[in-house]
Amino acid sequence: MTDISLTAVDTLPAAKSRTARLIPLPLGAARAVTLAGAVISAVSTFLSWTYTTAFPGDLTVTGYPGGLQVLTLAGALLTTLFALSAFGVKGLGWLNPSHSQNSVLLLALGTFVTTWYTVIAIAYELKGLANLDPGGVIAAVGTLVLVIGALGLPLDRQPALPADGEFYELGRFAENASVRRGYRALRDLRLAHSDRPVNDPRTLPGWVQRLIITLAAAIGLSLLTFAIGTEYSEIFIGLLILIAFGAWGLGASGLVRQFSQLTAEHRSFASAMGFTAALAYPFVQNDEHYANLGVNILIFGTVALGLNIVVGLTGLLDLGYVAFLGVGAYAAALVSGSQFSIWSGVQFPFWAAALTGMAASLVFGVLIGAPTLRLRGDYLAIVTLGFGEIFRLAVNSLDGVSGPKITNGPNGIAQIPDLELFGYNLGDAHDIGGFTLGRYANYYLLMLLITVIVVLVFTRSANSRIGRAWVAIREDETAATAMGINGFRVKLIAFALGASLAGLAGTVSAHVTYNVVPSPYQFAGAAPPNSAFLLAAVVLGGMGTVSGPILGASLLYLIPEKLGFLQNYELFAFGIALILLMRFRPEGLIANRRRQLEFHADDALVLPGKAGA
Amino acid sequence: MNTLPQQLANGLFLGSMYGLIAIGYTMVYGIVQLINFAHGEIFMTGGFGALTVYTSLPDGTSIWVALPLMVIGGSLVAVLIAIGAERFAYRPLRGAPRLAPLITAIGLSLALQQAVFNWYPKADNALSFPQLPGGPFHVGSISIQSGDIFLVVVAVICMSGLAAFVRTSRTGRAMQATAQDPDTAQLMGIDTNRIIVIAFAIGGLFAAVAAVASGLKYGQVKYDMGFQAGLKAFTAAVLGGIGNIYGAMLGGLVLGIAESCASAYISNIPGMEQLGGGSWANVWAFVLLIVVLLVRPQGLLGERVADRA
Amino acid sequence: MTTTTQAPAGTPLLEASGVIMRFGGLTAVRDVDLTVNTGEIVGLIGPNGAGKTTFFNCLTGLYVPTEGTVKYQGNVLPPKPHLVTKAGIARTFQNIRLFANMTVLENVLVGRHTRTKEGLLSALIRGPGYHRAEAKSRARAMELLEFTGLADKAEHLARNLPYGEQRKLEIARALASEPGLLLLDEPTAGMNPQETRATEELVFAVRDQGISVLVIEHDMRFIFNLCDRVSVLVQGEKLVEGTSEVVQRDDRVIAAYLGEPFEGAPEDEAGAEIEAAEARNISKTEDDQ
Repeated sequence: MTDISLTAVDTLPAAKSRTARLIPLPLGAARAVTLAGAVISAVSTFLSWTYTTAFPGDLTVTGYPGGLQVLTLAGALLTTLFALSAFGVKGLGWLNPSHSQNSVLLLALGTFVTTWYTVIAIAYELKGLANLDPGGVIAAVGTLVLVIGALGLPLDRQPALPADGEFYELGRFAENASVRRGYRALRDLRLAHSDRPVNDPRTLPGWVQRLIITLAAAIGLSLLTFAIGTEYSEIFIGLLILIAFGAWGLGASGLVRQFSQLTAEHRSFASAMGFTAALAYPFVQNDEHYANLGVNILIFGTVALGLNIVVGLTGLLDLGYVAFLGVGAYAAALVSGSQFSIWSGVQFPFWAAALTGMAASLVFGVLIGAPTLRLRGDYLAIVTLGFGEIFRLAVNSLDGVSGPKITNGPNGIAQIPDLELFGYNLGDAHDIGGFTLGRYANYYLLMLLITVIVVLVFTRSANSRIGRAWVAIREDETAATAMGINGFRVKLIAFALGASLAGLAGTVSAHVTYNVVPSPYQFAGAAPPNSAFLLAAVVLGGMGTVSGPILGASLLYLIPEKLGFLQNYELFAFGIALILLMRFRPEGLIANRRRQLEFHADDALVLPGKAGA
Repeated sequence: MNTLPQQLANGLFLGSMYGLIAIGYTMVYGIVQLINFAHGEIFMTGGFGALTVYTSLPDGTSIWVALPLMVIGGSLVAVLIAIGAERFAYRPLRGAPRLAPLITAIGLSLALQQAVFNWYPKADNALSFPQLPGGPFHVGSISIQSGDIFLVVVAVICMSGLAAFVRTSRTGRAMQATAQDPDTAQLMGIDTNRIIVIAFAIGGLFAAVAAVASGLKYGQVKYDMGFQAGLKAFTAAVLGGIGNIYGAMLGGLVLGIAESCASAYISNIPGMEQLGGGSWANVWAFVLLIVVLLVRPQGLLGERVADRA
Repeated sequence: MTTTTQAPAGTPLLEASGVIMRFGGLTAVRDVDLTVNTGEIVGLIGPNGAGKTTFFNCLTGLYVPTEGTVKYQGNVLPPKPHLVTKAGIARTFQNIRLFANMTVLENVLVGRHTRTKEGLLSALIRGPGYHRAEAKSRARAMELLEFTGLADKAEHLARNLPYGEQRKLEIARALASEPGLLLLDEPTAGMNPQETRATEELVFAVRDQGISVLVIEHDMRFIFNLCDRVSVLVQGEKLVEGTSEVVQRDDRVIAAYLGEPFEGAPEDEAGAEIEAAEARNISKTEDDQ
């Protein structure tokens, strides 16, 4: 570094996080209290928490945990394990490679919130605290003790001067000095553990690394299956809470970082494991309804991935994306041989139908993109929004009465026959090696193939000359054109590719849902697909990443599905979520390039941006 | 009556409404380059605010007494929401990449719409809006509704008021300066934050007035009336030249007339019999937008956007 | 320690003649002629607002001149920036415009975009041709990073680099498009003397590679050390053009821009005497009072 610095930019020194406890307790006492709390909570799950089975899941039994009690037990066990590891017990050090106590606090909080949620839900639904058995009270107290103990541990907190280069910091723009102070106080409370070094797991023997990846895939699959298979909303909520805090806690312990390093090292093996886990899903499900959920998650995840190319990589705001899905669906429906199609004599084999769907969407993509992509980027948003609306209106009216008869109007094209691939009819149930694959399971497997193709397309195009050009356009279009990139052409390629991928997914969705109607293809509606949902999935999941949109789509699809009472408020929640996300975590859940920021935290400085010379 | 003069008159009235809403879009875009997606919803809340005022007045209140109160009430609601949006949703994102405030605007639009849908009593369907007595009036072969008269009157008042304000008042000149070059304007001592708030406020005010007019014209308000109206209004703003307030009005009129005539006359073109009519009006509006973008992207009267290159 | 190689004044590379740039009623550039020959380093100086960056933008296709022509290697410049880069003119920006969320290496690879042609289909299929082209691009990018001294930071995010290295990265990225002419817009803004010297060395090295350079700057020592010729732009007009010595001493330039004779100029001793005399005068009058 230069010694005399006349630079115009403030260079912030990289700061280490501070270690401090939030409650003044002597260390030994804090540890004891933590462990005691964990034990009490665990024991309480074997008691009964309520005397009536009116509350879902059976919480009335003394002797073994049921329903939500299982979650509390799992949380308490995890917290104990991580606590022991953090306290330095030999043999458990691998659980907490960052040696930070933060993971203990986070897991404790997760157990606490889940348990108190359960207890409060019992009281609320059964209308009275009296319905809560002593077991429940013990659980509540136990988890409270647990958290108090954890707060007394030496936690790693936000450094005094943040060296993080996020593009806007909480409260920076606040004009009132006391507001700024308030934000600063909040920020000081924040946990910070990302600058703690962890051992490189790549030093482990190769087979151990692969085994870890396989185990992680298996655990992921079980969790996902459990989540999809939950029968009532309370346990789904509890599970979500526990998973959220659990993930956060795992991140604090450094395990996530190590896992990222492992998957980066064994990229193809990790992908293969992920694929195998996804492949195994329909075989471990015995219920068609859950397979249906699975297919839909795949479809929306794939479509979100396509949108990710347009929005996430290239930065083009497409608000009518779902129309391309619709175009593909209708194109496939028209050539599917359905009697409601105007071409009912025609029945394309699947590969031809898929190509038709893609081609139709591609054509519309180019038609919309060509005039608009030459202009200022904001216009694309309005034009695509308009196109989304127009598509639905037009398709609704092409019923022979208000318009030429093409799409059969509001009734849509129904009774789309099932696909038959190489003699395997996807509509029938088949027995394979003892497992029964129902209709939805069959379509799930087909869609999985499509998803793999789309993932391949995404990764291959993102890590190439054209992908770099897309990101360059997103980052700074003027600079990109100065580097020789033909902005219009590159944007049109992204837009058209995104459209065709949506068309491809639409082809499958047409067959899965038996019929194609205009109503779902709108900007915002109660049930997916709709453009707002897809945009939220991409933004929430993480723009520009592969797993981000799929995760976002899964979450956004499952939550309203499982928490049915939320359906009316779903869109409201989407709106608020978008606002909050953009304000506080614009990079989404799975952040792109974060690994690299972690690797180079010691060089973190702020880009001068417009301040310039 | 599908005579040309009638269609033109219809288009005029419709266009005035679009123009009033479009002004909000164009002013905000001209200064901060943000498409305020929530503006359509601000329009909608203005209408609901006016309705609330009406329903809280004692029964039997004359519509002539109620109407100004409704306009005031609706405007208050719309302006408050607009200013709140600027302060809490958009201002913190001033330095962020352009996608962030756009997505925030979409989120805000969704949230506002759904908030009204969920929490305004009985808002899941259209709610009826009071009407002005009298009419339809006849001028030659043209038939004019009483609501239309209100619309034209307020549109003229608003437009001329705004034109005078921008040209003669100190704040108006400051707005022009900020729209052209915000950094220099700030260096000249103009409080650009205040100017931006004023732009949002005026937009909200005009939108609320347009909402009352819409309620009078169509006899109802609905929670989703903002979406379509917003889309059309932004189209109008682009048509006339984004950032240009005269363009917004002109664009609105052009769009309104085009829409009216399209619904009435396209079915007369051989081969397109089935493409006329109300359900296709929106499609033609969209086609018009695409054509304008292709042929004259800076709009009819030219853009007026701050150069931030 | 500066390296100077006497490069022969070669053939005209860039010829801007009669360039006028008007924005509505404002004329930012008035009738400017400028020529850059092969093997030359030419400087462009002038007060802020003189139209230097606007002129640059005319040379890179960002603006199309209202009147006048710009020719590069005898051909009129195409009106689009990316075609200008393809023709062989590369540039850096006054306010650093790196791709902040891409790595250093990726920034330079983007610079190579115009000299490679593998498109979407090739990326999807990943045949041997694709891999060869990628490897070649990466090798060339690493060469450029070594040339500018950034090779060990290839995998860092651009936004994490210190200021001076970001400037160097911009130059590396511009060089990646194999230009014949490099336009540098205030490359040493905000730099300390050490970094400025390093940038001088870098620009000389660039010239030695056969690339001509046109540079806008305010640091006079930098300009006069570096440039074979200097043009002075004031209020959109070219006031004077010539070697460093000629320009330094020109009265109009001093009045409009430099303010005082630059140190090292022959009048300096006289100027120092005058200052000393004035200082004595002032202290005398103060004593009187």
